[in-house]
Amino acid sequence: MKKLVALLAALLLVVSCAGVAMAEDEITLDVIICQYGNNTENWFLGTGMNGTSFVNKFETENPGIKLNLEVVSWDDVRSEVSTRITNNKQPDILNIDWFSGYQGDGLLMPVKDYCPEELFNDFFPSFIAESVVDDTVWAVPDLASARALYYNVDILAEAGVEKVPETWAELEDACQAIKDFYNGEVYGWGLDMTTDEGQAAFSYYVWNNDGGFLDDEGNIAINSEKNVEAIEFAIGLYKNGYTNPNPATQTRYDLQDMFGAGKLAMVIAPNNLPSYLAEKGYTDVHYNTAALPTNEGAKPGATGVMDRIMAFKDTTLSEEENAKRNEAIGKFLTFFYTPENYVGWVSMEGFLPAVNSAVEALVASDESFAGWLKVLDSCQFYPTANEKWDAMRVGVINVEQNALIGGDVKTLLDELQAELTK
Amino acid sequence: MKKQIPEAAPKNRKTGLILVLTALALTIMLFSMPIFRTDTVLFSKKSANTFVGDEKYQSVRAEVEQAAAQYAGFNKTEVREDVTLRTKSDGSQSSMVTFSVTSQGWNNAWQIITSGLPSGSILAILLVCVLISFLAGFLGRSRISGGVAVAFALCTLLLVPAFAMLNTRIFSRSIGTVLSGAREADISALLASADRLLYGEKAGEDVAKLLGGMTYNYTFALWGLLPAGMLLLCGVLLMQNARLGSTLARGALYCFVIALCIVILYPYYVMFITGLRSIAETNDMYFLHMLPVKWVWSNFYDIVQRGVLRYLGNSLLLSSGATLIGLVCGIPAAYAMARMRFRGKKAFLGFVIMSQMFSPVVLLVGIARLMSALKLNDTVAGLMLINAAFNQAFAIWLLRGTFVSISSEMEQAACIDGCNVFGALTRVLLPMAAPGIVTTLIFVFINAWNEYTISTVLISTSSRRPITVGITQFSSFNMIEWQYLFASALLATIPVVILFLCIEKHLVTGLTSGGVKG
Amino acid sequence: MNTILIRHKWEPYLWLLPSLLLMTVFVVFPILIVFRMSFSEISRSGVMGGFAGFKNFIDAVNDKAFGTVMKNTAVWVVSVVGLSTLFGFIVAMVLNADFHGRKIARSIVVFPWATSLVIQASVWNYIIKYEYGNLNNVLLNLGILKNAVNWRTTYQIEFAWECGVGIFVTIPFVTFCVLAGLQSIDAAYYEAATVDGAGFWKKLRHVTLPLVRPSLTVSTVLNIIYVFNSFPIVYTITKGAPANKTDTLITLLYMRAFYDQKKGAATAMSVIGFVILCIAAGLYMVISMRGEEEL
Repeated sequence: MKKLVALLAALLLVVSCAGVAMAEDEITLDVIICQYGNNTENWFLGTGMNGTSFVNKFETENPGIKLNLEVVSWDDVRSEVSTRITNNKQPDILNIDWFSGYQGDGLLMPVKDYCPEELFNDFFPSFIAESVVDDTVWAVPDLASARALYYNVDILAEAGVEKVPETWAELEDACQAIKDFYNGEVYGWGLDMTTDEGQAAFSYYVWNNDGGFLDDEGNIAINSEKNVEAIEFAIGLYKNGYTNPNPATQTRYDLQDMFGAGKLAMVIAPNNLPSYLAEKGYTDVHYNTAALPTNEGAKPGATGVMDRIMAFKDTTLSEEENAKRNEAIGKFLTFFYTPENYVGWVSMEGFLPAVNSAVEALVASDESFAGWLKVLDSCQFYPTANEKWDAMRVGVINVEQNALIGGDVKTLLDELQAELTK
Repeated sequence: MKKQIPEAAPKNRKTGLILVLTALALTIMLFSMPIFRTDTVLFSKKSANTFVGDEKYQSVRAEVEQAAAQYAGFNKTEVREDVTLRTKSDGSQSSMVTFSVTSQGWNNAWQIITSGLPSGSILAILLVCVLISFLAGFLGRSRISGGVAVAFALCTLLLVPAFAMLNTRIFSRSIGTVLSGAREADISALLASADRLLYGEKAGEDVAKLLGGMTYNYTFALWGLLPAGMLLLCGVLLMQNARLGSTLARGALYCFVIALCIVILYPYYVMFITGLRSIAETNDMYFLHMLPVKWVWSNFYDIVQRGVLRYLGNSLLLSSGATLIGLVCGIPAAYAMARMRFRGKKAFLGFVIMSQMFSPVVLLVGIARLMSALKLNDTVAGLMLINAAFNQAFAIWLLRGTFVSISSEMEQAACIDGCNVFGALTRVLLPMAAPGIVTTLIFVFINAWNEYTISTVLISTSSRRPITVGITQFSSFNMIEWQYLFASALLATIPVVILFLCIEKHLVTGLTSGGVKG
Repeated sequence: MNTILIRHKWEPYLWLLPSLLLMTVFVVFPILIVFRMSFSEISRSGVMGGFAGFKNFIDAVNDKAFGTVMKNTAVWVVSVVGLSTLFGFIVAMVLNADFHGRKIARSIVVFPWATSLVIQASVWNYIIKYEYGNLNNVLLNLGILKNAVNWRTTYQIEFAWECGVGIFVTIPFVTFCVLAGLQSIDAAYYEAATVDGAGFWKKLRHVTLPLVRPSLTVSTVLNIIYVFNSFPIVYTITKGAPANKTDTLITLLYMRAFYDQKKGAATAMSVIGFVILCIAAGLYMVISMRGEEEL
C-alpha cells in the first residue's frame, strides 16, 4: 500500500508540473455547458455555428486561450460537477440552473472579478438581482424562459367555453365543460408534478394566489394559508378528473405532445412551445396564448425560469496567473454574449435573452419576442439565491406528489416548513 | 434415425376417430350458437328539469315512443328510462330523465359468414380447416396426409383468436376511428355488411350513427371452439399413432420458445419501428398506425452524422479491452482457486464478492479521484481497467466453478508428460472449460458495453464517449428525439448479438467433447 | 482431491496477483473513499470537510423516506431476483433441450442483456405510456383491446412494471449462468438415471439441481448485488414518483446526493446498503453452500 501511495504521489507531481508548465504559454479553460436542445452540442463543438463551432471560432479569435468545453446532459450535469468538486477538480466555467450551494461553500468568484464592466451593464438588472447574495453578484444569467397559458382554440369553442379562463373559478367551469363534452377523451388542464419539474407547478399556483416560497422579509413561508389554498386547488383539479391522468410521471414533453395532438385543451408551457410543436409536426393544432389564470382577487404572477453561468476559484494559482485567468474568462463571456454569437444561440434554443444588446436583433427576427420580453419584465423567478432552495424544491415536489395520492396538503406543507426551518 | 411409421394400432385409431368426430360435431354445434352479442342505442334523449309524470315528461315520452316505433323492425328493442334526482344547493329538488331506445342482437357464425364481413371469411376458413383435417386424418394413411391433418388442426386453433381480433379491429378500430374523425377511409362496404349482420339491412343511412352507439361482446360459444380444436388435434395425432404425451410436450416446448421470443423481441420491434418513424409520428396519440406511414431510413444517416458510429467504435474498443484484461487477470486467479490449496482462499473469495457491493454511482467520487491521479481520466484505457476490475468477481467465480467441475486427471497426466502448470492450463484445461470462458467473456463484454455512469463522469471529450453516453444527446432539455434514440439503441445491440452468434457454438461443446470424467 | 501439486508456497499468490492488483487499485480504493466520506462532513456542493462521526448515518436513518424505501428495496430485490432466477432456470432448461432453431432462440435470449439498462428502461417507459405507448398501439391495432388502457394507474402498478422490466433484463444473466452449468453436466448421469427409471421431475431434483447448484449460487449472489444496486430502471420510469413511493435505496441516495444536496446522508446510505448486502449475500452463501465440499 505504501508503494502505491508513493506511486500515486509521484504521478500527481508529474501531472501538476505538466499543468504549470503549460500555463506559461497558454491558458486552458474547462467549460461545462448544459444541453438545452438537439443542436447544442453541434453548435459548440461541431459545425452548427454557420459551418464552424463556437470553440473553433473562439480559439481563432483569442489566441493563447484554449477551451476544454464539454456539453453535458441535464440528467448528468449535477453528478458530474459534484464529483469534480469533491475531488477538487471543479471546472473554470459552469453553466447550470443553481448557484447558492457553490457560493455557500466559497467556491465561486464574484462576477465583478472577471466580467468586463461593459458586458456587466448589458445584463437585465432584474436578472442580475436574482444572483445576489450578501450584496455580491455571483453568477450571470445565460438565458431565460417565461411561461404562459396555451389553449386549444377549437377544443374550447367546441366544448362551449366562450371566454378563455382568467380566474380559477372560470378555469374549473371550463374544465368541467370540456370533461362533459369529450367524456374524458380530451383533458382540460395539463398538470406536471413530476420529480423533474414539479416546482414549476408549485410556483405557478402559489404565485397566482399571492403566496410564495418566501415571505416579505425573505424567510421561508412554505405553509402559508395562501399556499395551502393554492395547492389544494391544483390537487382538486386532478381529483375532479380535469387533468391528465398521471401528473406525477407525465413530464412536460408528454403534456406538450398531448397538447399538440389535440388531447389536452390547456397547458402552461414555455415560450418555445410553438417551435416544439412545429418541429414535431403538430400542424393541425390551432392554439393561442393567454395570461395564466389567477385566483379571484390575487395579483397575477408570471413564472420565469433562468439559468446561469458562473466561474470557479482556482486557489492553486498565483495572483498574476489568476489575473490572466480572470481575463480569459472575461474574454469567454464577452465572446459568448456578442450579439452575432449570442442571438444565434438563443434563437436556436428557443429561449429569451438575458442581455439588452441581443433584444433588437431578436425582435427583428421574430415579432413574438417583443410580447414575451414584456412578460419577462413581470416574471417572478425561483428563489435560487436562498441557501435552502434545493431542499425547498425537492420538498414541494414531495408535497405535491403526496397530495396526489391522498395526503392532506396543510399537514404536508406544515411538515415541510418545520423541516426547512429546523 | 429413420423409422418406418407403422400402421396405426386399431385401438388408437378408433379413439382418435371418436375424438375427431366429436370435435367436428362440436364445431358445427358451436357455429349455430350465438357467438357475438351487440347492444345498440338506437335513440336517446335527455330531458333536464323533468319529473316523472309531469307535462314535459309526457311530451318527451310521446316523442320517444314515436322514435321507438320507427325502429320497430329491429331486434329486441326496448325503451329504457333513467331518472336522476339531485338536491340543489338551495334545497330544492331537480330531476333529469334520460330515455333510451336500445336494441339487442345475437349473431351466430353462419350469420357472420353470410354477412360479408371480412371476419366472416376467417370463420369460413376455420370450418374448411376442420373439414380438411378430418378428411386427411380419416382417409389418408400416409405420412403426408397425417402432417396435413395436424397442420390444419393447428390452424383451427389459431383461427379462433384471429377471428376475435379481426372482428374487434373492424368494429373498434376501422369503423370507430373513422367515425370519430381521426382517420379518413372509405368504409361503405364495411358499413353495409355491418348493417346486414346487426340490423337486418334496416338501418340504411343511419348505420354509421347506430354503430357509434354500439357495444359488443363475444360469448362462450366462440371460446368453446378452442377446446374443440384441441380435441381435433389430439384426435388426428392419435390416428397417426403418435405418442400423444410426448408430441404435445414437444408442441408445448415450441409454443413456449415462440412466446418467449415474441416477448423478448417486442421492445426491439418497438425500437425498430420507432427508430424508422419521422419525428412527427413518434407520438401517435390516436394509435392510428402500427407501422410507420413513411419509413424514414434517413434517421440512420442522421445519427451517423451525429457521431454514433464513432461512439460505437469507442464502445467496441472499450469492451474488447475490458474483456481481455478481465480474462487475463481472472483466469489465473480462478485457476489458483480451483486447483491449489493455500491459506486465505476463502478470504479472497469473500473479498472478491465484497468488491462488488457498491454501485458505481456511489463510487464515482473515488474513481474520478483515482483516475485523475493515474492520469487516466478522459481516456478509454481508464474505462477498460475499471470495467475489467468491476467484472473480476463474476469472472473468478464462474471460472472457478467451471474449473472445479472438470477433473484434474488430464492436467496431471499432461504434467507427467512434461508440461508445466501453465501449459496444462492453456492446452488442457481451457479448451475443456470453453462454456464457462465463453459465458464469462460475454458477461464482461456486455457489462462493459452497457456501462454508463462511470463513463459520463470520466469522459469529457465528446469524441471519446462510448455509445451509452453518446446517445444522451438525443434527450435534451427541450425535446426527446425518440426516433434517433431508438435507432442508435438498435445499432448498439447489433455488435453484441453478432459477437454472441460467433461464439455461441462454444457454449455447447466443452465437456461433451471428451476427456476423463471424475 | 481435484488439486494439482504446487512447487512453492507462494505460487498460488502469484496466480492471484494480477486480479488482486486490479481490484485493489480500481475497486478497493474508491470504496475506501466512500467510507471516508461517510464519516466526513460534506457540504451541499460536495466539498469534503472534517470528521463527522455518525452524523451522516443518523441523518440517513432519519430521512423520512428511508422506511418506505427500505421496504421497496426489499420487494424489488426479492421479486426481481426470485422471479428472474425461476424464469431464467426454466428458460435455460428449455434452451438446453434439443430443438430446431435453438441457436436462434439462444441468440434472441441474449437480446435484453445486450442493450444497456438506460435504453431498456426508456423503451419500456415509452411502451407503457397511456397516451401514445406502443403497448396500447399494438393491442388496439391487432384487435386485442377495444379501448386504450392506462397501464400505470397507481404507483403500485408502476412499481410492478419496474420490477417486471428488472426481471426481463435479468433473465438472460441467470439463463446463461445456468446454461453454462447445465452444459458441464455429464450426460452419463442422465443415462444412469433413465436406466433407474427416473422421470423428468426425479431427474430434475436428483441430477440437475445438485449439479447446477454451484453456478446457481454464484449467479444468485451476484444477482442480489446487481439488482440491489440497479439504478436506471426506476430512475428512468418514475424517478421515484410519487413522493419516493417507487424509490429504491440506490435511486433515493442518488436524488439525495445530487438534487437534495444531502450528500453526507447519501454516502451514509450507500454504506448502509453495503452492510445490508454483505449480510444478505453472506447468509445466502452460507446457507446454499452448506454441504458443498471444501472450497
